[in-house]
Amino acid sequence: MTQDVEMKDHPTPSHSVSSAVPSTLQHLKEIASLIETGSYSKEVRRIARAVRLSIALRKKLTASVVSAFLDYILVPGSEAHSRLTAYVPKEDDHEMEVDTATSALQAPSKHLLPELEIYCYLLMLLFLIDQKRYNEAKACSSASIVRLKNLNRRTVDVLASRLYFYYSYSYELTGDLAEIRGNLLALHRIATLRRDELGQETLLNLLLRNYLHYNLYDQAEKLRSKAPRFEAHSNQQFCRYLFYLGKIRTIQLEYTDAKESLLQAARKAPVAARGFRIQCNKWAILVRLLLGEIPERTIFMQKGMEKALRPYFELTNAVRIGDLELFRNVAEKFSATFSTDRTHNLIVRLRHNVIRTGLRNISISYSRISLADVAQKLRLNSTNPVADAESIVAKAIRDGAIDATLDHASGWMVSKETGDIYSTNEPQIAFNSRIAFCLNMHNEAVRALRFPPNTHKEKESAEKRRERQQQEQELAKHIAEEDDDDF
Amino acid sequence: MDPKLTVVSQLFERFKAALVRNDFDTSTNLLSQLKVLLTEFRSLPPLFEETPNAVHELTIARDIYEHAVVLSVKTEDQDAFERDFFQLKPYYTDARNRLPSSSQEYPILGLNLLRLLVQNRIAEFHTELELLSSDALENPCIKHAVELEQSFMEGAYNRVLSARQSVPHDTYVYFLDLLAKTVRDEIAGCSEKAYDYFSISDARQMLLFSSDKELLEYIKEEHPEWEIKNDFVFFQKAKESAPCKEIPSLQLINQTLSYARELERIV
Repeated sequence: MTQDVEMKDHPTPSHSVSSAVPSTLQHLKEIASLIETGSYSKEVRRIARAVRLSIALRKKLTASVVSAFLDYILVPGSEAHSRLTAYVPKEDDHEMEVDTATSALQAPSKHLLPELEIYCYLLMLLFLIDQKRYNEAKACSSASIVRLKNLNRRTVDVLASRLYFYYSYSYELTGDLAEIRGNLLALHRIATLRRDELGQETLLNLLLRNYLHYNLYDQAEKLRSKAPRFEAHSNQQFCRYLFYLGKIRTIQLEYTDAKESLLQAARKAPVAARGFRIQCNKWAILVRLLLGEIPERTIFMQKGMEKALRPYFELTNAVRIGDLELFRNVAEKFSATFSTDRTHNLIVRLRHNVIRTGLRNISISYSRISLADVAQKLRLNSTNPVADAESIVAKAIRDGAIDATLDHASGWMVSKETGDIYSTNEPQIAFNSRIAFCLNMHNEAVRALRFPPNTHKEKESAEKRRERQQQEQELAKHIAEEDDDDF
Repeated sequence: MDPKLTVVSQLFERFKAALVRNDFDTSTNLLSQLKVLLTEFRSLPPLFEETPNAVHELTIARDIYEHAVVLSVKTEDQDAFERDFFQLKPYYTDARNRLPSSSQEYPILGLNLLRLLVQNRIAEFHTELELLSSDALENPCIKHAVELEQSFMEGAYNRVLSARQSVPHDTYVYFLDLLAKTVRDEIAGCSEKAYDYFSISDARQMLLFSSDKELLEYIKEEHPEWEIKNDFVFFQKAKESAPCKEIPSLQLINQTLSYARELERIV
């Protein structure tokens, strides 16, 4: 951490010298030196910080800044330089002159680090994507991937994982995800061989995304179950992983597990990642409905989500009431939304739950009711509603959804008196499971606590430093939370 | 024309003729020869090489596998069906852009859905379903299978059975017959829980037997615990969960001790 101070101080003199240079470029140079120190001292965390800082700068990038930065870092005339500058759109000369002047002073002394070269690719890619020049972004990212394959340095891993992400993202934007699937698989294999866990994590998510984009749930699940697992390195990647896992499990009817993953993904996702959290919530709502639960109203009232979750709110309402007619209407009314969300098939599955809830309501309110009335109340519109109702009720009884008996000869359903639940062991069991949940949560939280390294070393270090570190961490966290515009 | 392709198409004609005659031995024989020959085409999956005859070769390979699937249904061999279907699948998914679509595609996909339903592989059923476009879901063959699954889940078994009358394709009958057997077991399982008793004639009707004798045989084999008295079938109710009379003390002590231990750790 002591080096941190030096590093911070270092760029300031140059700042005062060339005050005419736009501050964005200055920031970029700071980041570059951060990467440099990171790579010399082999501290990956520093490079991760550099990436976070540059994401924050993203909106300020302009063609002139980028090209000036490239001139500053890369040796003009070198292969990487000529390749990268080819992507920069031509600008007016005036600003360029200032920048080349500064770079000419410093560049020749530089020995180019692979980290910096990769960082240039990353910056270029960010710039191209923000400028919506997707085809160039595709070309640039592909070139960077080729370069990456030949680099085997742990300090590059953080940068590489971001590059993989934007590589896939640029292809997704142009709708050619299927093209790079083989490439991603190869990269994942390389990352595994090099024990690059962050890269594996990122690439696995990208592959899952790739498969799910084409609804290839079977392949996705096969890959997921076989890919090596380890403790998550990045919260964002872990959230994504949980979301994809939840989706796969939902499709394969493992609702209980799916619910757990989806809710966890929604909780872990940073507040700023609204789009992602909306998606998680949509799926979680459906899964809970499929499980026979009714999500609380507060879920639909979360800030900034009311509008997006509206169709799902009405759907929940229809399921809660158990009205098939209303359910059909809602499904039809929002069919466009549901098909863009690709949840249409899940909603078809829900029909069964609507019937169940309706049946449960009937069974609670009537002690005896004829099957014809049941059919009418459920609004089963089929050719033979009574026979349908009879077998539906029979199945509901067998599955334990309602407690009743059928009388075939007289054609009615007799509900059994609901016994006093407090005379059984049921409440005690429920109580126990809740206590177990809380205790487990506490234990998990303790295990998840992170302690800063070297705390025992700096015994006499001033209070001030600790304070500064805390502030820095908070800042980093803040920035990390903003690092989710791509959710 | 490529000589290899000529050989294959001649053999394929003979295979089709044998299939129409329902001469299963000959057709199985010819099919295995055809499959061996197909391995020599480099334009087929997974290589997808751009050979001059690629489209032609792909089309004929797809035709062969489609007929192979039909053959497996006719010979009532579910394993062969699965194998052939998986060989056929890449032609529908990966080769979609290289070939004009096949008229047999939806019937065969629907058939596969039906197979998964019969084998009670519901998770795979839904996984396959996700792959279909909304147009495909409107196709009568696919729709048939999807509606069957729904009725099956809801418990509207008579709808499942009446589906046999409205088969969109004659190959579907085999699987629907299999499904009828599953449905009978389901109905028996549900009736056991839902009714106290019902008359033999009702039972016969509900379990879809044509005579009382068949019904009695079925009961003897599958549900020996059912009791038959004066033309009525009585079901043995599973013992209700009686209200708890005594406190499960040992279990409670264990739980309380574990709470104490955990709390100790926290404080």
